[in-house]
Amino acid sequence: MQTDWNALPDEDFRHVFRTWVDENCPRHLRFMRKQRPVFDEVAEWYHALAAKGWLSPVWPREHGGMGLSAAKHIIYVEEWARLGCPRIPDHGIGLVGPLLIRYGTQEQKDHYLPKILSGEHVWCQGYSEPNSGSDLASLKTAAVRDGDHFVVNGQKIWTTLAHCANWIFALVRTSRDEKVRQKGITVLLIDLTSPGVTVRPIPNLREEADFCEVFFDNVRVPAANVVGVVDEGWNLAKAVLGHERIFLGAPSRPEYALSRLIMLAEARGAFDDPAFRSRYARLRLDLYDLCSAFDRFAKVLRTGGELGGDVSVLKLFCTELYQRITEEMLEIAGEEARFADDLDANGSEVDAMNLYLDARAPAIFGGSNEIQRNILAKAVLGLPG
Amino acid sequence: MPKTMFDDEDGTLAMLRDSVGGFAEAHPGAKALRARRKAGGDLDRGLWSAMAEAGWLGLMLPANLGGADLSIREQAVLSEALGRALLTEPVAQLAIFSGALLRDAPAGEERDRLLRGIADGSLLVTAAWQGAGGKAAPVKASGAHPALTLTGTCHFVAAPVSATDVLVLAEGDRGRLLVSVPAGAGGLSVTTRPTLDGAVLGAVAFAGTPVESGRVIAAGAEVDGLLASAIEVTRLALAAELAGVASRALEITVDYTKQRVQFGKPIASFQAIQHRLVDMWGDAEFACCAVVNAVERTLGAGGRDGRLATLAAKARAGDAAVGITRRAIHLHGAMGFTDECDIGLYMKRAVNLNATLGQPEELRLAFVDLERSA
Repeated sequence: MQTDWNALPDEDFRHVFRTWVDENCPRHLRFMRKQRPVFDEVAEWYHALAAKGWLSPVWPREHGGMGLSAAKHIIYVEEWARLGCPRIPDHGIGLVGPLLIRYGTQEQKDHYLPKILSGEHVWCQGYSEPNSGSDLASLKTAAVRDGDHFVVNGQKIWTTLAHCANWIFALVRTSRDEKVRQKGITVLLIDLTSPGVTVRPIPNLREEADFCEVFFDNVRVPAANVVGVVDEGWNLAKAVLGHERIFLGAPSRPEYALSRLIMLAEARGAFDDPAFRSRYARLRLDLYDLCSAFDRFAKVLRTGGELGGDVSVLKLFCTELYQRITEEMLEIAGEEARFADDLDANGSEVDAMNLYLDARAPAIFGGSNEIQRNILAKAVLGLPG
Repeated sequence: MPKTMFDDEDGTLAMLRDSVGGFAEAHPGAKALRARRKAGGDLDRGLWSAMAEAGWLGLMLPANLGGADLSIREQAVLSEALGRALLTEPVAQLAIFSGALLRDAPAGEERDRLLRGIADGSLLVTAAWQGAGGKAAPVKASGAHPALTLTGTCHFVAAPVSATDVLVLAEGDRGRLLVSVPAGAGGLSVTTRPTLDGAVLGAVAFAGTPVESGRVIAAGAEVDGLLASAIEVTRLALAAELAGVASRALEITVDYTKQRVQFGKPIASFQAIQHRLVDMWGDAEFACCAVVNAVERTLGAGGRDGRLATLAAKARAGDAAVGITRRAIHLHGAMGFTDECDIGLYMKRAVNLNATLGQPEELRLAFVDLERSA
């Protein structure tokens, strides 16, 4: 008998979830430096969650998910962050699952969903291309019909964790409409072990591999792997994130960074410096107010409403605040800001440089902050042009 | 456009917003501000009576004294609406601050008389408690009750000319006192200075001003508590008013940039303008969220939790309102620099309210001190 988690009062659910996670998430995986560990590094945690039935918070229960409401999902994500659990490769859980549950055929659901939960399929997301970043609808990776297959040629890039994935859900071009560029794009599920696929990791600023290039050279993909309707994949791809958009602006990253800044500042006596105190106060209050703003949108979800385009104000504010906090860490590190390794704070290690580098990415991914501003200008303020 | 979002099951909040909207149509805020400024006045008596009649001056005062017995939630929504409508009469000082000082003071004939007068608009009760630096600075109280006299000067006194009664913070031989003095009391003199938003503030000097029998409202340690909670509730109301100013100034600017055509296009179609407007909108949205958070924490856990949230809200809303109106002026081009264009009045009002009861930097530092003292 599966539990109806939504029937529990919020605080009871929080307690049950936190208690089990704290007991079962391995200590050595807590608060990892790496934002995106590969599958093998976190496999034991992945399988433990799957065995408990807690791997997939929002999938409906009949598909092996917890069926959490948005409000409960927020608690799940909050506790996860508070306990410092590592991010698991979650493109299957977060994107492919919901996509198939909403738009997939029965065969697709039956085939793919269990393999996501078991960890047999590890997914990555093939959207960006070398010349199609912010302007995603200009994408060119071509899928040409050949009998009951498509033949795929082209290249994806910035594909997070492709080097540990064995499947990719890709946006490919199946036709071209000069007037509406969003037409002619199709969602295709591609086995990365197929002949003609090459995956090449790209070391990032932190000298870690977490994103990759993926090349397709005459890769044959069964036509049955199309999700939804051929040429109509754009809206599908856009609709896949519902209330989850709130998490792009969740305060957990800046919260963590500020806690490290405080450790560093206390160890170095920076709180006695009025200039630091003033700068710190601004960062502290920005974080405090980000939490208030996050609550305002969470409340919409708690009361059964749907998020509007305005939710991306959280992403803008959150990612820029994260950057500023890490910049302040370097400021008080003084001469030591030249070192690549961690800083000592009264015997504890503070990964200031790691965070400083990490903070560059979120202002770009998930739609660069400039693109977000363009969208807000139209969607919220109704500005012309 | 951003506004504070509260549960409003019985529709009270919507009604309050509507009532301010209707009021502002009959008495446009910008027009009243200009008229008051031209006359060198500190308050528009007609408007004040109309506000009393609307029930706005005693929103949080006890019902048995003519108030509406509502909470800071309703007050925040009212203040936000006043900010939007640019209704700039000194409600925060004369109704909210003085009202809060008296409401929580021990019941007594004088206290009740003043509260009734605040709620029905018949009395203009101002508070004299700040020194030249803005901090609490009691005047000297000599002698013993009932032969008490006051000596010293208070600054930043609102409606110093129109006031009928002055609540004075004093320090006597046996500690703090909160006393009330009629505006025409002997030895009381007023010097006024114009404010940026077209009113005046006064320095009120007491030279042996007698305190009549029965006019001591509170004494001892209690006075500091009254003052602290009056400051807190007024800060929160000011934050809401600032959020309203910010939000309305943004709206006006969005409309203007949509209409203003250059290079054959509305300037709002240019990305450089759009990104500025989006950032202004984000600031206003955050200001509203901060106000809601402060109201909910004040009504919820209260205490330290409410104090932190209020400090944050006033700082956020002040920065937002000043920053938004300043950018709004810029986006109006040369028009924004004219006295004729209302957007400048919003900026002046924002600067004024932001400077009232603590600038953002001071509030942020107070937040950090309070949080880290735990």
